[in-house]
Amino acid sequence: MSDPLAAPRAIQGRAPDVFREGGWVEMREFSESEAVDFVVIGTGAGGGPLITRLAEQGFSVVGFDAGPYFRPLEDFASDETAQNQLYWLDERIVDGENPIRMGGNNSGKAVGGSTVHFAMVSLRFRPEWFKSRSLLGYGADWPLDWREMWDYYGKAERALSISGPVTYPWGPKRPRYPYRAHEMNGAAEVLARGAEAMGYKWSPTPLATVSAPRGDSPPCVYRGFCRFGCSTNAKQSQLVAFIPRALAAGAEIRDLAMVGRIETGADGRATGVHYFREGRWRFQRARNVVVAGYAIETPRLLLNSANDRYPDGLANSSGLVGRNLMTQSNQAVYGSMKDEVRWNKGPPSLSITEHWNYDDRKDFFGGYCWMAQGPLPIEWVTVLTGSLGLWGEQLRERMKNYNHQVGVKMVGEMLPNENNRVTLADETDQYGLRIPRITYSWGDNDKALVAHALDKMQTSMELAGVRDTFQQVDDTNHLAGTARMGSDPRSSVVNADCRSWDIPNLWVCDGSIFPTTGGVNPSLTISAIALRTADRIKALADRGEL
Amino acid sequence: MGTSKPTGDTATAIAVLSGATVLGGVALALRQPRAPANDTRASLLPWVERSKAPAVPPLDSKATVRAARRLNRAAGTIAASVLVDSAIEHYRGAFHNEAMVTPLISASLSLLASVHGTADDRRGAHVARDLVYAAAGLTGLVGTGFHIYNISRKPGGFSWQNLFYSAPLGAPAAISLSGMLGFLSERLRNNTTDSRPTILGRPAGRVIGLMTSLGLMGTVGEAGLLHFRGAYHNPAMYLPVTMPPIAAALLGASALGEAGRRKPLTRWWLRFTALLGFVGSGFHIIGVARNMGGWRNWKQNLLDGPPIPAPPSFTGLALAGLAALGLLEDHPDD
Amino acid sequence: MTDQYPGYDVLAKRRTPSWNEQTRQAINGRLAIPREPRFLSPDLFAVLDAACRRIIPQPTERPPVPLAAYIDAKLFNKQSDGYRLAQMPDQGDTYRRGLAGLDEAARSQHGLGFTAIAPEAQDEVLRQAHAGKLTGGAWQGMPSKTFFEHRLLNDTVTAYYGHPTAWSEIGFGGPASPRGYVRMALNRRDPWEAAEAKPGEEARARRENDHV
Ligand SMILES: Cc1cc2nc3c(=O)[nH]c(=O)nc-3n(C[C@H](O)[C@H](O)[C@H](O)COP(=O)(O)OP(=O)(O)OC[C@H]3O[C@@H](n4cnc5c(N)ncnc54)[C@H](O)[C@@H]3O)c2cc1C
Ligand code: SF4
Repeated sequence: MSDPLAAPRAIQGRAPDVFREGGWVEMREFSESEAVDFVVIGTGAGGGPLITRLAEQGFSVVGFDAGPYFRPLEDFASDETAQNQLYWLDERIVDGENPIRMGGNNSGKAVGGSTVHFAMVSLRFRPEWFKSRSLLGYGADWPLDWREMWDYYGKAERALSISGPVTYPWGPKRPRYPYRAHEMNGAAEVLARGAEAMGYKWSPTPLATVSAPRGDSPPCVYRGFCRFGCSTNAKQSQLVAFIPRALAAGAEIRDLAMVGRIETGADGRATGVHYFREGRWRFQRARNVVVAGYAIETPRLLLNSANDRYPDGLANSSGLVGRNLMTQSNQAVYGSMKDEVRWNKGPPSLSITEHWNYDDRKDFFGGYCWMAQGPLPIEWVTVLTGSLGLWGEQLRERMKNYNHQVGVKMVGEMLPNENNRVTLADETDQYGLRIPRITYSWGDNDKALVAHALDKMQTSMELAGVRDTFQQVDDTNHLAGTARMGSDPRSSVVNADCRSWDIPNLWVCDGSIFPTTGGVNPSLTISAIALRTADRIKALADRGEL
Repeated sequence: MGTSKPTGDTATAIAVLSGATVLGGVALALRQPRAPANDTRASLLPWVERSKAPAVPPLDSKATVRAARRLNRAAGTIAASVLVDSAIEHYRGAFHNEAMVTPLISASLSLLASVHGTADDRRGAHVARDLVYAAAGLTGLVGTGFHIYNISRKPGGFSWQNLFYSAPLGAPAAISLSGMLGFLSERLRNNTTDSRPTILGRPAGRVIGLMTSLGLMGTVGEAGLLHFRGAYHNPAMYLPVTMPPIAAALLGASALGEAGRRKPLTRWWLRFTALLGFVGSGFHIIGVARNMGGWRNWKQNLLDGPPIPAPPSFTGLALAGLAALGLLEDHPDD
Repeated sequence: MTDQYPGYDVLAKRRTPSWNEQTRQAINGRLAIPREPRFLSPDLFAVLDAACRRIIPQPTERPPVPLAAYIDAKLFNKQSDGYRLAQMPDQGDTYRRGLAGLDEAARSQHGLGFTAIAPEAQDEVLRQAHAGKLTGGAWQGMPSKTFFEHRLLNDTVTAYYGHPTAWSEIGFGGPASPRGYVRMALNRRDPWEAAEAKPGEEARARRENDHV
């Protein structure tokens, strides 16, 4: 077994076969000196589908990822600690009143991006959120129409074989999910009971892990280590669902390839990227550059690429690169039951209620949903230390109740705020690149939303018969913003096609482009937009407008 | 799209089994229709019945008993399927309710009674078998009641989710079917030599044909529900929801239509449905192997994978259908 | 406290389908961790060790999980969490200052180093750190509350609950690949999961745990 972190695997015309231990598939390779049609930086929720669809539409594409190229079957241990290998652990500085915990909590570094360790919850936005400024009075409007998005959501759901309920209780009609919902575990059933007691609808959660075989993916075995990589390959991460398609269509993937700077030419257009691989800096020429490194690395790269022509960084004439960073409130209510819940079995979020995303009788903006939980021991103990301040004998005793714990966790909308932002610190990392400083403070609306959610979650847990409840008040998860899309170059970084206003052959296609973040997990929306962007690029190319 | 079809050993196994199925179907289609009425050698498998196709004998005492024995055999096939299936499923349910052993006992007894009946060429109902079959019928009804109750208590009630994953509504009905077929067999044996066989005063072939047709449709419902849960991820999963309904329709039409005529299409279709029951188990075995860890992880995959013992229920019903068809062909009742 | 999962040992599953090869290697590596400090000085390591023993008091009837060794290894290998609070120095310095700060507090309050004072007194010093009350001297402006919560407490419990001994203690199933779980509903247990001893049923639980 080779070490995927020691040396690149996708070299010499072949790339790892993710479905076979030690297996390989053929991979086309492009020369550095000849410009490829597209360089895509990042292979995650946004980059993965984009690379795939661009290649399938006949463009020459090279996808770069700073992370390793895993074969889940041979590289993933069934262990919380060992699987730290999936995360972006390079140093980042966090500050503000509510500093965001990064690392495993927030970003991945691997071919497939954060989807390799994400929790697979695959939800659609509420349609009104695409026009939240004009329809709901907060945030900013997206330059996208929800009906078009509904189509692309459908495409993303099919590509990822989402396992979901036969009918989804909220929002406009949607086609049936490709696979049926998973069996619910005890924790999911407790959420359902609580929701029913409150008079809310609930549903099995649409998840990106298959409930029946799909190709070489066996169905989920309910091992519950989803957030630490799925060694089953049931999870439809981009690594498993998209990247093999991309290779088959002729794309090249370069793993362990950190892009440090985007170069621009005399005409102001991007000409290629400087990247670090196999011990040295290299340069790949490109006709178009797409940044898909997620809401921290994307603005960092754009800012780090500043040059004489663009002293404030690329695509930054609006001054908004790095601004309007959003995370999502991720508070929880936990408690104990007499029953043995054994919440570690199965994917963590097997049931959901989106009630408060669709009910507007609230005195704050935005919405939230909540889902069943199943933290593994390390995550659970940090909840107990963080929320209850426990240590010593008390902590050990409390931990012994692990199999009787149950809880629900929210995903809540936080409002965009220009002061929440990513900037460059003076410190540099192992590549000599300036590291990001991430500044975050919750606003009053954010706090009101969290208070509302904690109250409702607590009541529902108590009605479901959960005892000794307590609140985890400080958690956040998921990132968005920092290169928002819009219809005005002065108030956005990219347009509806994810094309930067300033540099026509520079694009951003990941979570950074969100003007608002909505009250559901983001990745399905990121992937749907990526699929749309690929179609738009093709249409533009056909019209000679690239 | 590249990633939606299995590759490697799984693909090979599916291809081999599919090929074998087609060959089996062709072989069945080419076989001469049915055993001669005076041939008393019971054969275990319908498609290896010796066949010489004599002219239709108008009345034949042996034919009635032979049909009864075939029904016992059908009842036994279903009982065997139920026995293994409920053992696995209730083991999965950790036998948390003591009543969960009932179907195991009932199916075992039904299986024994059926073996006994299949070997028994005397006429006249057998009291012990009758009791066993009646008990099986009752077990199924009570089981269905339990399962309905179980679902009704779950959040969501009679939702797709609970139909998929809670106690399966259709499963207990299978043991009832076994009991029903056995019970019909005993009634058939009660006929005297020189009369046209009847059950409750109605022509036996028609009664059995209709009941079997209904049973097939019920089983189709169960397979349909579970294959829907599996998202019909393999095209072969459509077979049990397309072939047996046609078999049921053909059999139903035969049971209601003119008797005393050869029905080669119905016969072939029923035979193919019988074959399908075993092929289904074959596909399910591949399914188990394809799950994570394959057979090495049997403790999980036997329970979580597709149920290997379930599909032969179709075989049992198809066998009963063939018995009914034999009676219908042999006994013009009007 | 009675044993809640009598006889349950996650490691007994090592050779079953619940563990794959990568997991065996990862856990073997964890169990074979060097016990001597490689990053911290012996003195600071002793302070760390004493603090870990108070944060996770371990029973005497089994070999203790070497928590300080795990933290030292993390520092030695420069394993980052992927972020750093702006007011904190890098990991290594954080520990050097924080542990020295605990020791100073012990000396100024009890006239003895942290390792030499009574366990209750150690708890008191740790509580002061947790409350952010320790300042000056070795702390060099670093908030003791942040050191305690984000570093010492967090790293100690992470090391403990990442160890098979702790998994057995809390009845966690542990590694689960290729074999996962089958019985998902409330109060259902797969035969390879820990059996909990309900009052009066310890013997039965022990029997079941012998066969996980
Ligand atoms: C623990 C956890 C659970 C989550 N669960 C869910 C969930 O259930 N549902 C959901 O919808 N979302 C979930 N998310 C969020 C989701 O994973 C992200 O929103 C999504 O993956 C972001 O997509 P992206 O394309 O913007 O970036 P990513 O998927 O993170 O991909 C970015 C990639 O770019 C690479 N990269 C960055 N910079 C460079 C560079 N300079 N050079 C080369 N490569 C670079 C990185 O290595 C990375 O692989 C979860 C996230 C976490 C951390
Ligand atoms: S629970 Fe399912 S999706 Fe999660 S890691 Fe296990 S097999 Fe993969």
